[in-house]
Amino acid sequence: MLRTLIQEVKASMGIYESDADQVYGLLAEFPNPGVLLDAAEATRKEGYRHFDAHSPFPIHGMDDAMGLGNAVGVGVSTFFGGLTGFATACLLQWWTGAVDYPLNISGKPFFAVEPSVPIMFELTVLFAGFGAVAGMLALNGLPRPYNPLFYSDRFEGVTDDRFFLHVAASDEQFDAEETAKMLRNLGAVHIELVQDDGLADS
Amino acid sequence: MADSVKQNTLLSWLVDPLQSTRETAERAYRFTGDRRSWLVPFLLGAALLVISALGGWQRPDDFFFAYLVGWTFLLTTALGGLLFLIFHHLTRASWSIVVHRINEGLIWAFPLLLLLGVPLLFGMHDLYHWTHADLYDPSSSHYDEILAGKRAYLNIPFWGARLVLYFAAWTIVSYRLYTLSVRQDVDPDPDIPAKLRSTSAWGLPLTGVTLAFASYDILMSTDPHWFSTIFGVYFFSGGILSAVSVIALVALLLQKTGGLLRGVITKEHYQDLGKYMFGFTVFWAYIAFSQYMLYWYGGIPEETVWFQHRLQNGWQWHSAALVLFHFVVPFLVLLPRAPKRTSVVLSVMAVWLIGMHWFDLHWVTIPVLRESGGFHWLDFTCWLGLTGIFAGALMYRLRRHSLIPQNHPYLGESLHFENT
Repeated sequence: MLRTLIQEVKASMGIYESDADQVYGLLAEFPNPGVLLDAAEATRKEGYRHFDAHSPFPIHGMDDAMGLGNAVGVGVSTFFGGLTGFATACLLQWWTGAVDYPLNISGKPFFAVEPSVPIMFELTVLFAGFGAVAGMLALNGLPRPYNPLFYSDRFEGVTDDRFFLHVAASDEQFDAEETAKMLRNLGAVHIELVQDDGLADS
Repeated sequence: MADSVKQNTLLSWLVDPLQSTRETAERAYRFTGDRRSWLVPFLLGAALLVISALGGWQRPDDFFFAYLVGWTFLLTTALGGLLFLIFHHLTRASWSIVVHRINEGLIWAFPLLLLLGVPLLFGMHDLYHWTHADLYDPSSSHYDEILAGKRAYLNIPFWGARLVLYFAAWTIVSYRLYTLSVRQDVDPDPDIPAKLRSTSAWGLPLTGVTLAFASYDILMSTDPHWFSTIFGVYFFSGGILSAVSVIALVALLLQKTGGLLRGVITKEHYQDLGKYMFGFTVFWAYIAFSQYMLYWYGGIPEETVWFQHRLQNGWQWHSAALVLFHFVVPFLVLLPRAPKRTSVVLSVMAVWLIGMHWFDLHWVTIPVLRESGGFHWLDFTCWLGLTGIFAGALMYRLRRHSLIPQNHPYLGESLHFENT
């Protein structure tokens, strides 16, 4: 139960696990971004969930085609980052000004909201920024120095001029032959079975 | 003027300087409502103003201050709309083309506002302490050395001349932006966008400077001893927030109650208007707080007295409400994506922010008149009465022309605009 949950969370970040036969998934190459976009949409409509598209540049409409939706998580982590920053600033101003080292400066109160607001504002913005970056990294499963797709020689072209769709073996519907057939029908020019035994030196 | 767009007679020039170009508008962009759309708000407004005038007979000072707040509310909103339009032209923004005509309808307001401002001239003695002659007589017990020092600037002839100058400047800028855009509807001259941009280029500094001085002359001088150099920006920040809210509200009204512009103004445009509402809420708070914090830090009596008054005798509740309802609540409501794309929430927030802008001006102005906080019924009738007339004139203009600049070269981009 917990194991499946962790697998699902990792899959939502694009980190898929190999199946019992150490098959990581199918890597299909498509001739151009338009075909890749249509293939991603068709793959989603076939019921696949554990798949990802790879291209040298962002493709307009890919989020909708893959059914990714709006990344609410980044907004939420930004908001709570901001709240944390706000609370930190309140504590910082109060503790340094009124508790740890009270100084009488031209008769002003040791702690007051007015001079603290710029600190609250700045720390809210700073921590909201941290929250946004941390949320973005976490939801993308980054940083991720190791990806089994790197074993494919053709995949090197993904940063240059090649377009790939990867369907993970962890998907419930995955079947090496059936899925390959579907991908070929969608216009894949090359299909490759990627294996991963989880050992970095293989 | 080109033959295709004609001028009106002098009286209706106040409301719309152009003859109707309704017949040339594409069917999808035509206002289909009947004359009730402008007559009802106009008559309601006129009725409320008559009631206010009757109340003013009894309580002239309450009337004049309430009228000043209501009138300034409309003036700042129109000026905010003018600057909003100017910076969209200057940045060649394409997303906003579909809401430009509503904005253009909003900014042709200055001749009418000048006329609606005439009653204030009868209340100069109540509104502006610096108009009292005995302040400047060294033998009088009311002699005021500080105001005597400001007399070269604060005197009725110069004040009146300045206001005429401001209105002339705003009228010229808005006349060009409004009429050039409407002319484009009938005559798709490719030079018009460049003319709109160049007008915006000189119109921006002209409007910015005159707006700042107008804020000193109209509002700040009601408390002539007090001064704030950020007051012009404060005046602008509330006005542009109100203007964006008005644009969003009018667009939503046209769509939801009129069934117009279906598929023309979309959720994507509302989200952007919502972003501006959110952004200017924060901007207003930033400016309002900057003004307060510097005076709090300085602690100089002649500067803090203005805020001290607003933190006593019931006014402290107005100040607290301003922080909470003009900043915290709209900030949290408009922060996520969904409310900006939900028409019910966005229209509630638009009405809310328009109301808060009035409340803000009420908080700035009325403490000069009254020692203790609260409202007088005239505050509401004057505000809503003037707003009714203003809204009637806005709907009248919208009804006479295409609801969007139908020949603008960026229209296609605007129609297909999507937030990423």
